[in-house]
Amino acid sequence: MAFLLDLLIRLGIDLGLALGLGAWGGLGSGLVLIGIFSVEWLYPIVFELRRGGATPGKRALGLRVVMDTGLPVTPAASFTRNLLRVADFLPLAYAFGIVAMLLNRECKRLGDLAAGTLVVHAAPVVLHDAPPPAAPLAPARALSAREQAAILSWAGRAKRLTPARFDELARLAAAALPPVQADEPRRDAAQRLLGVAQWLMGKRA
Amino acid sequence: MTPMRFEAEYGPVWDAFAEQLQQARQGKAVDGALLAVRYRRVCENLALAQSRAYPIHLVARLEAMAQEAHQLIYRRQDYGLGRLGRLLRVELPGAVRAQGRYVLLALLLFALPLAASFLLAWHGPDFALHLLDASQLRRYESMYADGKQALGRMRDADGDWYMFGFYIFNNIGIGFRCFGAGILAGVGSAFVVVYNGLLIGVVAGHLTRVGLGHNFWPFVATHSAFELTGVVLSGAAGLRVGLGWLAPGRMTRLEALRTAALAAVPLVYAAFFLLLVAAAFEAFWSPAAWIAAEVKYGVAALCWVLVPTWLLLLGRGGAHAS
Repeated sequence: MAFLLDLLIRLGIDLGLALGLGAWGGLGSGLVLIGIFSVEWLYPIVFELRRGGATPGKRALGLRVVMDTGLPVTPAASFTRNLLRVADFLPLAYAFGIVAMLLNRECKRLGDLAAGTLVVHAAPVVLHDAPPPAAPLAPARALSAREQAAILSWAGRAKRLTPARFDELARLAAAALPPVQADEPRRDAAQRLLGVAQWLMGKRA
Repeated sequence: MTPMRFEAEYGPVWDAFAEQLQQARQGKAVDGALLAVRYRRVCENLALAQSRAYPIHLVARLEAMAQEAHQLIYRRQDYGLGRLGRLLRVELPGAVRAQGRYVLLALLLFALPLAASFLLAWHGPDFALHLLDASQLRRYESMYADGKQALGRMRDADGDWYMFGFYIFNNIGIGFRCFGAGILAGVGSAFVVVYNGLLIGVVAGHLTRVGLGHNFWPFVATHSAFELTGVVLSGAAGLRVGLGWLAPGRMTRLEALRTAALAAVPLVYAAFFLLLVAAAFEAFWSPAAWIAAEVKYGVAALCWVLVPTWLLLLGRGGAHAS
């Protein structure tokens, strides 16, 4: 998809160059050829080495190129991955590239394998929010670190899980809830567990 | 420490850091030292938050900030002229010498077919017709015919600038493809190098045989110093990558491929540079019919001395030679 977008942009630039400069005779058509050369070979390299680390097409889809280590892509790596596109294209229509992508876990084409680069989604996936507010409730016993983490991440998904699933999960943790006190307002298990989550967050009153 | 106290204590630093990152994203100048201090603090907090199993939204927030700052701080920025000069004077010749075996291999793959096909085509008319058909040969003959304004062209009308663009588009494209195809066990590069050697040999031999050598040789003498070296270097780069993973030594094949690609890239830079210079000479200097052949041969000899000197001698002082 990003590739198609970039292809369109590149064709657009090529066409613009041809229309804009083609009228200037020898000098113009020479510049057009240089322009086409630059767009064909240097366009991805230049854009990947800039701050965004992505061609316009990739950026539009929230992708970027990084080294395997998570560092920004280096000039040598960018040259490698973009010049090896030639090999990915062979024997036709990116066949080698597609086969290479199917054969490794990180879905890299040959150029990425050789350059040690990775195409990643730039924005992190957010599945968890802060636990929703609730009156704090001390758990029945001291909870282990894993139990605490489980309750907190359950609470963090309050907005994203269906209420039925949310309650169902809450019942699994019922053992952590203290017995209902006489002076305590009436709430269901999920609300009480959210109280425990708030207590774990550090809220006391 | 509870997550809430943790956030209350360090939250202001995170907010300030996020604001600084936001400014940097918009391209404004930010205080690097302050950014670095805050970056360290955020990484520290991230490690603590992870080891204490703090809520995921907190860890994710720190992770996202640390990742973005990482990209910002470790970005390469030294793209100045000084860097380019050092690359040309020290690093490229050094890299070419370091890959000397592959360069030699590519040179043999290029020069032997070239010499053989030159001699065969010079000797008699049959051999040239095995490789090219008669119409192609006639086209080459017309390009170097007598009494033309500009040598080596299909028509006199194509201006120098047009040819400059064409040589860049075509020749450097071939150089890049020659490297890229090398990953297929070096076969692609070897093919390009051998094929070009054969073709150039045949054309040179044929034109010399039919008596157009006095037009052909002054035309090619100068830019060939850069162009042929560029072709050999891009072939060597491709061979380095292809043979690198084919015979990985003590590394895994993937590691070997990565190492080989890293080692080969300077050769591609050098080839790119040489082909660029070659295109300029080929477009503006070589076709000029008004320059006497003796002058062209003189300049050509100088270029043929300069290029090997560059690759073999420059930057030998290592890190000090800058």
